[in-house]
Amino acid sequence: MSKLDPTDIQGFVLRGYTFPVARYLLLQIVPAGGREFIGKLIDQITTGERWDQGKPRTTVNVAFTFRGLKKLDLPEPSLQSFPCEFVQGMKARGAILCDTGLNSPDHWEPVWRDESVDAWLGVYAESLPELDRQCADLEKLMAGTNGAVVIGSQDAGVLVIEGKITTKEHFGFTDGFGNPDYVGVVRDTQPGQGKLMSNGSWAPLATGELMLGYADEAGELPVAPIPHLLANNSTFMVYRKMHQNVATFRKYLNEKGKLYSGGKEKLASKFIGRFRDGTPIEVSPDKCDPAVVANKQLNVNFKYGSDLDGVRCPIGAHVRRTNPRDAFGFDGKLVNRRRITRRGLPYGPHTPEDQPVSDADEHGLIFMVMNASIFRQFEFVQQQWIEYGNDARQGNDKDMLMGNHGGVGKFMIQGTADPANPPFVCGGLQNFVELRGGDYFWVPSITALRMIADNSVDPR
Amino acid sequence: MANQSGGVYGLTILSPIKDDPNSEVSPNLALRIYLAKLPRHRNSPFAKVSSTHFARLVVMDDVVYVGMPACEEHLQSKYLVFESNFDGDLDTYLERMAAEIPETVDAVWKHCVGFPGVADVAAFKAYMKKCQIETTFFFADVNDKTVQQTLRALQTQSAVTAFIVKHQGASPSELQAAFAHFMEKLNKAPLPAPAATLGKEFVDELA
Repeated sequence: MSKLDPTDIQGFVLRGYTFPVARYLLLQIVPAGGREFIGKLIDQITTGERWDQGKPRTTVNVAFTFRGLKKLDLPEPSLQSFPCEFVQGMKARGAILCDTGLNSPDHWEPVWRDESVDAWLGVYAESLPELDRQCADLEKLMAGTNGAVVIGSQDAGVLVIEGKITTKEHFGFTDGFGNPDYVGVVRDTQPGQGKLMSNGSWAPLATGELMLGYADEAGELPVAPIPHLLANNSTFMVYRKMHQNVATFRKYLNEKGKLYSGGKEKLASKFIGRFRDGTPIEVSPDKCDPAVVANKQLNVNFKYGSDLDGVRCPIGAHVRRTNPRDAFGFDGKLVNRRRITRRGLPYGPHTPEDQPVSDADEHGLIFMVMNASIFRQFEFVQQQWIEYGNDARQGNDKDMLMGNHGGVGKFMIQGTADPANPPFVCGGLQNFVELRGGDYFWVPSITALRMIADNSVDPR
Repeated sequence: MANQSGGVYGLTILSPIKDDPNSEVSPNLALRIYLAKLPRHRNSPFAKVSSTHFARLVVMDDVVYVGMPACEEHLQSKYLVFESNFDGDLDTYLERMAAEIPETVDAVWKHCVGFPGVADVAAFKAYMKKCQIETTFFFADVNDKTVQQTLRALQTQSAVTAFIVKHQGASPSELQAAFAHFMEKLNKAPLPAPAATLGKEFVDELA
């Protein structure tokens, strides 16, 4: 079994921080002082060490695009050993990702469209003043070393609804269930995470599905840069800024909710596979059940094998498409190499359901993914399971909420003769979510950061 | 049974490609160049042979040696692989190829050893049968329906979906009237051509 060294792994790789506010600083590296900046930054980086002594007030993590690594003067043989999709960057992968039409770079923020981001600093904090203080400290460090400048800044934070901190996103769904377990990553595991075993139990995925330097589910080492010491304990991160058209979503749900005899909230649950309060409909198909949501033995612990017709959870529902569990047979083995770890956070303030809202309002989600292979994991899920439906036998149907529909999409809700659970077709799907930019990043280990800072990366 | 899945026939042809060290462009490269330029989808020559579910032409170069502990092996020549899944029997299909796409057949197989030309249909059929090997796997969508039945089913599925979207929530009497009208239009709708795209415009018109 892999033994991990949490002091060498960036904390953001191993866990979501559950802080209320965050700021993502988008940097341009200045070659003259870049390595000195990284060297001085290392002491501030939050590692994967447990917080037994209490939670810190802020956290800092760092990741680089391929351009950033070039500016930091990594040796050419190391640069050329990175996987192709990371070298190309997200914009160049648009055709694979279906980042076309409304999701194309024409609609991205300039900082992403112009591919000018070299590095990402993720700063999380317990409060806004602490966040401002930490970011000011980091900017001082950049100025002092002349190693980087901030060319973009993205605030994000949990939605505060009626004064309460929530885990909801702007469409009203409770988010953040069910990241996979990995061998060696210590956390409170829940049945239903990780991979399905032949006897019906759940086990952690191989460490190499999350991090470089460890065996993956095929028993192979993920494609990684040389030397091994540079790659070990690192991972790749996908960053996508996803704007949410809240007005379009609410209008659509209200209109179709009137036609659907199961009622509006049940219809909403069919889109995702969970009621908006988080109740998984595979477990409780007819009503929200706070006891299920709160029960860690139940809230991600379900399978689709007894619901192959999709009458409880539609075959095309978001959670079923993106993590089909046992739905494709073979004891779930077909999905073990397609799992991703998500670190999303909303941006923009919550607009209550009874208040006027516009698609132009600042509403969205910063969607971040950790995986050992962007090509094999994130890109596959995006291309085959979000933007296409054939694996789930849903033809060309895309993911109801995430899909790039262009006004012609449809979503089938399987049902029964029971009027409370009727079959229903959602047609004329608009783009409820639109891409505003992003890129592919590499999240190095502490050792790798030190090697880069010291210019001691030796690929020979 | 090999080669047959219900009413669908699976044909696999392996034709050895000529080896001509004196040619300016080697026959296998000339064949690759020709194949790369063949039109696809609805303009594919095989769309004209309308009983074709699926057809692929591939140049098989050699067995790739992947290193130890594999042993190094080679094919006796390069081969043209022709795969087709079609409705009906082999003789009829080969006769239709000869009748409907003779230029394509000649242009492809002229690079192969012993090809007699398509003008002599009997010789062409004998040649193809000599190159045939057994087929035991079929294209995944083969389900014992003809191409035309499949196209009609896809047309019906798309149109019914559009109809449902348009009329969900209508009163029973409205729904019944609309459905009768819809069925009348659907029954009269022409069969889509092979490789047709059943797009929004197409189905909205019916719904």
